Amino acid sequence: MRVTVHVDPTRCRGHGICALLFADALELDRWGYGRAVDATHEGRRSLVQARRAARACPNGAISFTVEERQPAS
Amino acid sequence: MTAPVLAPDLPAPPPPPYALARLGDVGGLLLAGPDAEAGPESWVDHVARLGAPPSLTGGEILAAIRASGLQGRGGGGFPLWRKLETALAAPGSPALVVNCSESEPASRKDWTVCSYRPHAVLDGAAAIGRVLSAPEVVIHLHGDSLEPRAALRHALHERGDLPGDPAWRLSYGPGGYVSGEASAVARYLHEGVALPLFSSAPLARRGPSGYPTVVSNAETAAHVAAVLGAGADRWHAAGTASCPGPQLLTLCGAVATPGTVVELAGSATIGDILRDAGVDEPPQAVLVGGYAGSWISGSVAWHLPMEPASLSYAGASRGCGLIGVLPHGACGIAETARMVDYLAGESAGQCGPCVHGLPVLAGAMRALARGARSRRALRQIRRTAIALPGSGACSHPDGVVRLVASALEVFAEDVTRHRRGTLCRTAHRAPLFPLEAGAR
Repeated sequence: MRVTVHVDPTRCRGHGICALLFADALELDRWGYGRAVDATHEGRRSLVQARRAARACPNGAISFTVEERQPAS
Repeated sequence: MTAPVLAPDLPAPPPPPYALARLGDVGGLLLAGPDAEAGPESWVDHVARLGAPPSLTGGEILAAIRASGLQGRGGGGFPLWRKLETALAAPGSPALVVNCSESEPASRKDWTVCSYRPHAVLDGAAAIGRVLSAPEVVIHLHGDSLEPRAALRHALHERGDLPGDPAWRLSYGPGGYVSGEASAVARYLHEGVALPLFSSAPLARRGPSGYPTVVSNAETAAHVAAVLGAGADRWHAAGTASCPGPQLLTLCGAVATPGTVVELAGSATIGDILRDAGVDEPPQAVLVGGYAGSWISGSVAWHLPMEPASLSYAGASRGCGLIGVLPHGACGIAETARMVDYLAGESAGQCGPCVHGLPVLAGAMRALARGARSRRALRQIRRTAIALPGSGACSHPDGVVRLVASALEVFAEDVTRHRRGTLCRTAHRAPLFPLEAGAR
């Protein structure tokens, strides 16, 4: 599966928790606001991390989309 | 029988590669017709001049738009037919908004086309509405832009229940720079807040209402009417390969009449366009694309064709079609500092990077313009300019960074002089470029 995280900059207030919980995908900018630097990741572990980051954000700024890999035919 | 004359004919002089038309000139496709004195063109005059709008099906209109290659004229330059196909392919019934809320302080092209050719905008809007089978077409404008508001209202009244017209809705939004941005307009119509919106999907696929939302610029709509009236081929031929069709340009700064709108058909260099506006020699620098556009040095710009492919060589883009002239002797740093100040104040204040970054950028540009602590200011500008792009919900911070970066490059000598603390005598002159949208 492929997980893509998005940060809604209009909601982000710079708590910075997301970057701790999903460090592979998110980082904090100069002012401490989260931004997706490497938004798309593979695997179940990424899904868990994305879900944690999304739940932890007090402003609901983190969202993610999951794409199930099509079975090769 | 006389022998045919063998002397080769002199080659026919090449046709002028471009034509510039103003309001009321015969040559233009959009601006032909009555001049500014006559006020908004009435429905009777419009039909007498161009005939009634052709009755075509949505599919035929889409095919014509596709053949014309029309690119959106709000600033992004995205092909209209692709936007329409995205909306048609997305789930749900698409909504159409024609965005007449021109927010660039110096740009007047949408203002002009809405104020003087309201029926062209409405014909085009009705045609796009038919492509989308939109139950209602919203015409959105700043509530404080009085002339377009009066012209469009009167035009809708004149049309009455014209067969083939959709249900119209006029919507008046608040003024301000970012409130004219497409997602801000869509959001205003959905929830009454005219601020840009973050979304991972394009508006045409899923707008704030959950349905596909096509936001199309007023000039774009008027061009659709011209495409259907003149034929896609003739319309296409009035442009260049990278920008099909004629384009409306606003000239401001040190030109004979700032705020003039011209219609350019064919390929002209910025020098050609400026010569027509009373500028005889390459100026110090030219601002292309709007306040979130790029400065180009005058000698380069003079020979640069006003079309996307050529402008991209100079790191610029067509944007909203603004050409601003900075004369020799004026201070580009001071002018840019004022614009950045204005743009920083016009931020929606939603995204952290814009809230924290733009004031720093504006303060540093002001310091550089004054020549005070300018080494520190330059460091601040560089650090902020790296962090800002791509960090907001809309491209407002990206545009400001683009303006500042181009200014530091084009006015590099002035930067050095300001940094050394040499007194700049022109920095305190009155601004050349308008800094509020109040004039509209």
